[in-house]
Amino acid sequence: MSFRVKTFISIAATVLLAVWAVALVVSTLVTDSFERQDAERTGALVAQFQREFDRRGQDVARRIDAIAASDAVQRIALNLAGPQPDTSRFVDEAYALAHEQSLSFLELVGPDGRIISSAEWPARFGYEESWLKERVDWKSQGVFLKREDVSDGSSLGLVAVRAVPAGEGWLYIAGGVQLDQEFLDALPATPNMRVQLYRAFEPPPPGGGLGSKLAADLIETVRAQPRQLTRTSTAASISAIPLLGRDKQLLAILLVENSRAELAALKRNIQSTAWSVAGAGVLLGLILSFWTASRITHPLRALAGSVRQVAGGDWNTRAVADSKDEIGQLARDFNQMTEQLAQQRDRMIQAERVAAWRELARRLAHELKNPLFPLQITVENLQRARQGGAEQFDEVFRESTSTLLAELDNLKTIIGRFSDFAKMPAPHLEPTDINQAATDTIKVFDAQIHAPGRPQIQVEMHLDNNAGLISADPDQIRRALRNLILNALDAMPNGGTLAIATQNLDGSGRVAIEVADTGQGLTPEECERLFTPYYTTKQHGTGLGLAIVQSVVSDHKGTISVRSQQGHGTTFRIELNR
Amino acid sequence: MRLRAWLCLALSSISIASVSSAARPRYGGTLTLDLSGTFNSPEASDLPPILSPLVAETLTRINGRGELEPRLASAWQPEAETKRWRISLRANVFFQDGQPLNAGNVAPGLLDELKKQFENITVLAGGQTLVIQADHALPDLPLQLANPRFAITRKSENNLVIGTGPFRLSGWEPRRRLTLTAFDDYWGGRPYLDSIVVNLASSVSSNADLFDIPFASPRRIVPEGPRIWVSHPRELLALVAASDIQPVILQALAASIDRAPIVNVLAQRQGQAAFGLLPQWLTGYEFLFQTMPDLARARQLAAQIKLTPVTLGYPPGDSFARAVAERVALNAHDAGIAIQPTANQNANLHLVRWPIESADAAAELARIAALLGAADRVNGLEANKPETLYEAERGLLESNRVIPVVHLPLVLGTAHRVHFDGSATADQLTPNLAGCWVDR
Repeated sequence: MSFRVKTFISIAATVLLAVWAVALVVSTLVTDSFERQDAERTGALVAQFQREFDRRGQDVARRIDAIAASDAVQRIALNLAGPQPDTSRFVDEAYALAHEQSLSFLELVGPDGRIISSAEWPARFGYEESWLKERVDWKSQGVFLKREDVSDGSSLGLVAVRAVPAGEGWLYIAGGVQLDQEFLDALPATPNMRVQLYRAFEPPPPGGGLGSKLAADLIETVRAQPRQLTRTSTAASISAIPLLGRDKQLLAILLVENSRAELAALKRNIQSTAWSVAGAGVLLGLILSFWTASRITHPLRALAGSVRQVAGGDWNTRAVADSKDEIGQLARDFNQMTEQLAQQRDRMIQAERVAAWRELARRLAHELKNPLFPLQITVENLQRARQGGAEQFDEVFRESTSTLLAELDNLKTIIGRFSDFAKMPAPHLEPTDINQAATDTIKVFDAQIHAPGRPQIQVEMHLDNNAGLISADPDQIRRALRNLILNALDAMPNGGTLAIATQNLDGSGRVAIEVADTGQGLTPEECERLFTPYYTTKQHGTGLGLAIVQSVVSDHKGTISVRSQQGHGTTFRIELNR
Repeated sequence: MRLRAWLCLALSSISIASVSSAARPRYGGTLTLDLSGTFNSPEASDLPPILSPLVAETLTRINGRGELEPRLASAWQPEAETKRWRISLRANVFFQDGQPLNAGNVAPGLLDELKKQFENITVLAGGQTLVIQADHALPDLPLQLANPRFAITRKSENNLVIGTGPFRLSGWEPRRRLTLTAFDDYWGGRPYLDSIVVNLASSVSSNADLFDIPFASPRRIVPEGPRIWVSHPRELLALVAASDIQPVILQALAASIDRAPIVNVLAQRQGQAAFGLLPQWLTGYEFLFQTMPDLARARQLAAQIKLTPVTLGYPPGDSFARAVAERVALNAHDAGIAIQPTANQNANLHLVRWPIESADAAAELARIAALLGAADRVNGLEANKPETLYEAERGLLESNRVIPVVHLPLVLGTAHRVHFDGSATADQLTPNLAGCWVDR
């Protein structure tokens, strides 16, 4: 992730977090404020409902008293007190009396509890209203809520009862007004409030009834356990006030719904403002991050470019260090470091060159010294033989000349090797079967491995059939393998196992070749210097074998590594591109 | 015998203001009659039964005992296996315009009416004799001729109806007022009254000498024993179902209805619970159909099926019918059947009021069957065989199309100055105002 993106994310996250926190706090405070207002308004409305309930109740009681004292009721009472009561003529009286007193309900009920006349359901004459026969002082009972059955269902009434003496029994007058929408409309609801009455004897409303599923759930809860309860959703806050009847049974639930549309709108405003601020912040953060990043990362990128150039071998590269800040100081330090490193490199190259020439001189001296000493001895022998007899001289001469020729051949060989190393050609790449190259190479050593008197060398070939073809110079590959095999054989003077393995390195596009022996192994120090030209651990080695191998591998853009453990042998591993 | 049965009932149901044996009829005076209903024309066939025979008379009539008796025809004789009837007209009868009644001025109008009912029928006139002939048997022709539709009338120059009855039509304000004036040359003797003023569509008031009391109002208008005259039950209030109502609903409904409160409270004991289509006084067998309300069975029946909404239509403006409909709906509600009473006539159950116009049970049953659209169920009724009537009526009831609810009488309120002679109220169906007089 680039510095620019990191900077942008940091700024954007900071802005968003800050805006979110502010919006949350404001929103919470606003919600609390609205809920307090809702609670106050609901409380005021419920109090007003109670006052209106009491006022209408007193009104109902007054009207029922008037009916009880009316001539019509007295006539009925008189009829009931007579020897042969016949109330059939009064079947319409309740309607007229209710109309006169503006009552929604009125029933005149005889001493037997049967309806004489019903205003709300005229056809119910003769039906029983047994609850009126209870021994109750109806005057002190006051006004109460009651479910009233009417022809098209049931209704909720604010009812009062009076009992008028009728002979030995009583004529009951039960009547009242409907607790309807008009009653609710009289309550001081604000425009954002809605007051509804759910009648408990009606089926529970479906989810869409009485406003919402919230109301339906609230009703269910209050029906199960009548108590005042408030529930809130995003759209509304609904308070449910249970209304109980004379026997404390739940008859209705007053629902006061406070719309939260205003709150929701305010919250939406806060939210949209927050989004706007956040958006602006993010945009600003984007610009700021680009500006900051360009201010900060431009010199860094320039510095990184310089580093890459140095890594690529351009030691003359210098970073721009025109600022006085930390990055400028870093660039100056970098330039200083590069200069020092270049100087050190030059010195090292010089030292290495000297060391290489010294090593070459030492090696040459060593290599040449060995054959020169026999030559010197031979020539001295010839000189001494010349002072002796002719026969002795001839014999010495023959021996000496053969020795001289042998040593001269030896000298040619040594010079040829150096010449070969100096003449390493560029590889001629072509599709090369690496397994075939390994097989061909080991065949060259068959005679040497199985030479009579030679300790037994066991050859193991672990060739991966998936190794396939690689782009390489087959001659150079075989040459490198020959050197490795030769080293391995030299490392096992007492016999052992020579293992050659190839391996397709799945996914990397490379092939590995390993040549392993079970000889004495190498020390870590030896491993470090192993590929240095003219370095050898062998008594008669030139130190060019592994240098040639490394040269071949390097020319093929490959890598070579060695792992060894003393007493357990050494393994060389070459990895080549396909 | 049906005649014997209604004779007994007729004797037991009289509640007319008694005519004091000491009071002597007096001639003169005007009777004011207020009727709650109205009619479109003063044609004899449109006039209500209380007025129709006052203006125009039929050749025969059925008296209150269900007997056929002569009116303008003095005798009739079947010939050719009732394909031909020879009818002798009463002598010395005059139309209200002074024209004598003879076959010549009776035949044209009578033939026009007969052709509306019978095919290939002819009427021959000769002096005082009419010969009615058809190519098929007419066994009930004398009974048919008692129908007001066959009243003998003529038209005056100003297109008023002229009949042979005791009163002539002297004034007509359409749908508002009808004035009748005594016909001095009436063959049965001049009526007592000089005139009768009939106020139509009148709200009931005690200012009139005579007024009909609709069943919506008697308990309020005449609460404390006024003089009232009550006829035999002459109207059937019944529930008639449309074909889309399942029979089991009607069975449940029939079992749920408690008729006693309807009669005792809504009809103020002036009617009779109806279990048959025709009242007991007319058939003598109605009690055989009587059942008690059985709410448990009604509920059981209602629970058998998935109930469909039922609307019960009653005649618009008929508050008595509405009260009955609401009571029926309440009874049904108790049985678990939801019925919605409505004045809208697009209902699938109707509360109908069908008049019983005569004491001829067979004719009335046939008429009700025709109204039910089941005229074919009452073919072959024999008036003198009550068992055929019973079987036919039972068949109609078991068709599950009709539920009788109550039989209602005609209730008239009478002022104290109004009196009737014995003949005026003899048939207990409709008082004959020709036998009525008023005090000064």
